[in-house]
Amino acid sequence: MLEYADLTAILPHRHPILQVDRVLEVEPGRRIVATKAVTGTEPCFAGLAEGLPQSAYAYPAALIVESLGQAGAVLWLLSAQAGGETPEGTLVFGAARDFEFLGAAYPGDVLRHEVVVESLKPNSAVMRGETWVGERRIAVVGSMLAVARPDTELAAGPTG
Amino acid sequence: MSRSFAAPLDAVDEVRTSADGITATKRIVATDPYLAGHYPGFPIYPGVFTVETVHQAARRAVEASRGPDVRVELAAVRSVRFKAPLLPGDVLTVSCQLRDDPDDPRRVRVVADCRRGDGAASAKVTLELRVRSGATDA
Repeated sequence: MLEYADLTAILPHRHPILQVDRVLEVEPGRRIVATKAVTGTEPCFAGLAEGLPQSAYAYPAALIVESLGQAGAVLWLLSAQAGGETPEGTLVFGAARDFEFLGAAYPGDVLRHEVVVESLKPNSAVMRGETWVGERRIAVVGSMLAVARPDTELAAGPTG
Repeated sequence: MSRSFAAPLDAVDEVRTSADGITATKRIVATDPYLAGHYPGFPIYPGVFTVETVHQAARRAVEASRGPDVRVELAAVRSVRFKAPLLPGDVLTVSCQLRDDPDDPRRVRVVADCRRGDGAASAKVTLELRVRSGATDA
């Protein structure tokens, strides 16, 4: 199991956009199970109007994508490490297909991401995954591509 | 201004209606929510926030055309490809074409071309929105 401090050593993301709290299981090169607790004190719940229905407090889909993507990034980096490699540069989200949102998560829920490797290359990874809240599957992604961009390329502007 | 739904940030500054859809702009600011951690000392507009900009712009357009008694949700990101980073000072312009799903009146398909101020393509996004009747949960 990996705790939050371990994750800060793996991912470049920091508060409040470090969107993975704990890794429950990991098989480098194959799969990962990671969690993220949703709480009403997160910035995305700030500034909402009074008297809104519960649906207004659904966790933003963009942050579910980010959280699932970060679980995938941890899997990729641990897989590379296990193979004696380190992707060079900054990890970025390259592309995704067929991300479906099937249900909602609310403050108090714990997201559980299950991500599986489709293919690994030195500077890119393709993965698919699902997000669960308890026994409810709330999101599924058919494929997502993570790439490592040289830092110089990012600072200079246009890439790919 | 208070929001009517949870969101990582106000991802749209302005929306204009165009011939076949809408065009929205968002100026990237280092003090935007969440950017302090993405990444410390090196802020980049997260890719998922570009998706959020398209989502919020399209959502406004659907709410404007179908009236206040609907609830709009993101149903799917059918595809997204990121091509260039957005840094503080950049202005993101998303040009969205909206089309009702002919097979399902509760679905709207949104295709967005996303560009920076210098004209470089930053992303291409295809979303599907789910439109429910009734602004409450009843």
